[in-house]
Amino acid sequence: MAFLDLDRISVAFKKEQVLKEASLSVERGETVVVFGPSGGGKTVLLRLVSGVMQPDSGDVRLGGRSLLGAGPEQRDVGMAFQNFALYPHMPAFENIASPLRARGMAGDEIARRVQETARLLKIDHVLKHFPKELSNGQKQRTALGRALIAGPEVLLLDDPLRNVDAKLRYEMRIELPRLLKSFGGAVLYVTQDYKEAMALGDRVAVLLDGRFLQVDRPAEIYRKPADIRIARLFGDPTINLVPVKPRLGANGPEVDIFGSRVSLPAQTGHLLDRDCMLALRPEHIEVRTEPVDGGIPMELDAVTPLNVRTVLFLRSQDGREVLATCSEHEQGRFGRGHRAVHAAIDFGRALFFDPASGTLLPAAA
Amino acid sequence: MAELNLIAVDKIYQSRGKPPVHAVQGVDMRIADGEIIGLLGSSGCGKTSTLRMIAGFEEVSRGEIRLGTRLLNDLGPAERGVAMAFEGYALYPPLTVRDNIVFALLRAKTPRAEIDRRVAEIAALLEIEEILDRYPPTISAGQQQRTSLARALVRRADLSLLDEPMSQLEPQLRAILRARIKDFLIQHKMTTVFVTHDQTEALALADRIAVMEGGVLQQFATPADLKEQPANLFVASFIGEPPMNIMEAEVIESDIVVRTQRNEKAFILPAFPGDRPGDVRVGIRPHRLKVGTGPLQGQVVSNQWLGDQTHLGIEVAGVLLVAVTDGALSVDIGEHVPVDLPGDALHLFDAAMGKALRHGMGPVA
Amino acid sequence: MERDNLLVTILRGIALLVVGLFFLFPLFWVALMSFQTNEQILRIPPSIVFEPTLSNYWALISGRLVSNAGILEIKFMGNLWNSVLLSTTSVALALLLGVPAAYAFARFRFRLSEDIAFTLLSFRFAPPLLVLLPLSLYFQDIGLTDTYVGLIWVYQLIALPLILWIVRGYFEDISPDIEHAYRIDGHSWWKTFTRIALPLARPGIAAAALLSFIFCWNNFIFALILASADKQPVTVGALAFVTASGIQYGQIAAAVLLSITPTLLLALYAQRYLVEGLSLGAVKG
Repeated sequence: MAFLDLDRISVAFKKEQVLKEASLSVERGETVVVFGPSGGGKTVLLRLVSGVMQPDSGDVRLGGRSLLGAGPEQRDVGMAFQNFALYPHMPAFENIASPLRARGMAGDEIARRVQETARLLKIDHVLKHFPKELSNGQKQRTALGRALIAGPEVLLLDDPLRNVDAKLRYEMRIELPRLLKSFGGAVLYVTQDYKEAMALGDRVAVLLDGRFLQVDRPAEIYRKPADIRIARLFGDPTINLVPVKPRLGANGPEVDIFGSRVSLPAQTGHLLDRDCMLALRPEHIEVRTEPVDGGIPMELDAVTPLNVRTVLFLRSQDGREVLATCSEHEQGRFGRGHRAVHAAIDFGRALFFDPASGTLLPAAA
Repeated sequence: MAELNLIAVDKIYQSRGKPPVHAVQGVDMRIADGEIIGLLGSSGCGKTSTLRMIAGFEEVSRGEIRLGTRLLNDLGPAERGVAMAFEGYALYPPLTVRDNIVFALLRAKTPRAEIDRRVAEIAALLEIEEILDRYPPTISAGQQQRTSLARALVRRADLSLLDEPMSQLEPQLRAILRARIKDFLIQHKMTTVFVTHDQTEALALADRIAVMEGGVLQQFATPADLKEQPANLFVASFIGEPPMNIMEAEVIESDIVVRTQRNEKAFILPAFPGDRPGDVRVGIRPHRLKVGTGPLQGQVVSNQWLGDQTHLGIEVAGVLLVAVTDGALSVDIGEHVPVDLPGDALHLFDAAMGKALRHGMGPVA
Repeated sequence: MERDNLLVTILRGIALLVVGLFFLFPLFWVALMSFQTNEQILRIPPSIVFEPTLSNYWALISGRLVSNAGILEIKFMGNLWNSVLLSTTSVALALLLGVPAAYAFARFRFRLSEDIAFTLLSFRFAPPLLVLLPLSLYFQDIGLTDTYVGLIWVYQLIALPLILWIVRGYFEDISPDIEHAYRIDGHSWWKTFTRIALPLARPGIAAAALLSFIFCWNNFIFALILASADKQPVTVGALAFVTASGIQYGQIAAAVLLSITPTLLLALYAQRYLVEGLSLGAVKG
């Protein structure tokens, strides 16, 4: 029995069926990231757990006990909202102290704990300020402080880094895991940024079509996305998708792709004569300026640096756009403008998806 | 197009009852024909004011803007021959997306066949083919932004000015759209100046980037130079994700003594013969940190595997540093690892003014 | 790009002056009249320079008008008191009923909520004359004619829609997430209403209360028909100056000035809130 149990939750929001029998379990001390595209129901999910909304059917259980029908003030939950939702007419101190006041704690104990939490979040010097005097980063930390301070059983974080500038977002991505580990309860963290999901989640639950399509460790989801849409969402630059139909050639399975004939690993035998979508991660395509054994000729059209990596925009001989990446220090080789290159592709790491349903096809028979 | 020159350009905003705002201070820039230039900085730094002065929507308070030998200062926007994409899109609501895009081409009396060809090309490039017959209020913010961009780019003007052109783009489209746009601009030799607060975007598209803060041009250089030879602390900590690690330190004889945020001695790095004694800031870029070997001991605070790179948070004697490696690294949180900060990867900055003192092995040029 | 030249500034100043004069001149003239005797008022041509007299005010306050035809009892101070009582009590009642109702309309979607809201608002559209005759008949049947309770009840037709309209907008502008956050912190629904919703909607409530007060104070027709002399407010009381022996312009002027003073002062004091309240919080903050 898990600590926090979402059991076949269904709910309609604004005439749309947003969640369809979605189920998820979270253990105590675990951080589960709910990941999905915007409008997918992630915020609705958090509202259900917090008690602000009730599901149409299904159950929410905490420690075995059902929470259905209980209002938010009866659940032991803390929540940090995307737009902070701070009380504008109270200073930061009172915002953070609010859950403790609701629990009737003594004044000096409240002061002590608020100071401690503020120091941990590095906002102890702005406690007397009102929300409109705080920067976005300080507002977010105040909201976080308010959510954490009463040590609730469940912590809900609704895309807290969305409205915070890029620098601070990165800084918090590095600091949050330590904070969440020391928290102790169950954490549900919602985000649309797959990097945040991979960085912060012990497990990631991908919410698509109103259900959790895949729930797994982040590295596993990246390596083996269960659905073609998950493969596209998890990765920057987006994974390359090519419709192919493997055939049996002289030396085993082979496929016509990018204007060349390429051998596939022997295990792909079960995909012969079957329409598939072949998915290639950009980092598995190595671009060389000189011809290489097994390399596919292509034209390099543009080089766009992407922080620590560089994106190479290629066009294959059959007119397809292909994205590859290389390390930052290699980018100087390629110059500016079009040039002929050779792509060494690791087809052993390619993924195959069913074109109709979008589901991942097994790697071997 | 000839060279675009900004010579000692100032912009001062006067409003009654308030002190004047010196939004742009003495900016000098020479932009060659066909160059793609990014104006980068946080909000309020003067980048948008600069762009609007180039466009002709703002008056130049002091200084000159010249195109070749022609003085642009007194010319209105229509007479300057520039195409502009506005931050607020500024689409014409009663016209369809297609009509919005061709508006300026019709005024220039471009032949019909050419118009259709160009629209098809730009719509495919920006993936707005399906909404060509829709009206602006019915499409999403991301689609509106792409329409505004299409309207500017389709003209292939001598000078294209783009104000935050991709801020609303869906994350999955960013990499491919950046690549396509860069290819388009280079192939058609379009001189472009764009404004952004996202350094990732600036690094991806620009040949050279003008980093601005507080109205002052901090550095105008190629992405590589901004990363490897930042002129001051601001540029060093603004560019890069993850940003450069910056530590507080003091040069004492032949040692650089690095201190924690609480001013305690942390660890020692070897100084170079030319380093003058006194307070400094030491920077090292995340991918130059060596993890696994080295004289220093660090404790892993976070290990974030993002599919194609690892971001590690390591605390070395109380100083939190971020390291990036290309592959996966199997170290757990709390584990101790050896760390090295190689001398040729260090950047020294003056503590008071922030100016760069040394990059790696060489003195500041 | 904006260049204000001297001509535009001068023209703008002249326009403001003209508009200002247009609205304020009658007030100014009435104020002058209140310090003049009837003879001075009716003199042709009228002059701005005169011997001011306080006799009009004195007559109102003492309740006795000494004129050529004899001594007349004036109940003006009584009327003033009625106005104060009726307006403040009506607004207080309307706030008590209207603010929670506005909150309900803003926060809850229940069946027919839009229809009910529109019905309540429609009271403002209907001309009072439409309901006056039936109302006076009902009042006679129930025995509410010439009672404070009856008038206060009828004044709800004026105050309640205004309060609902303005305050609802203010509640709607408060992000629901803020109230959700307070409840998640552990506070009850009631505490959320009193500690979060009410304080944040305070400018709107103040504006609505002020406006309702002004409209109730200015109401003429309900009090005229549904009440008699000792319950009537100043609006009706002013009629008393149209006597059989002639119209006492001086006293009317003084009465007008005394009766608009409370609302004028209130509006001046709270003009910022009125503008804020009337814009219905249109700008997202």
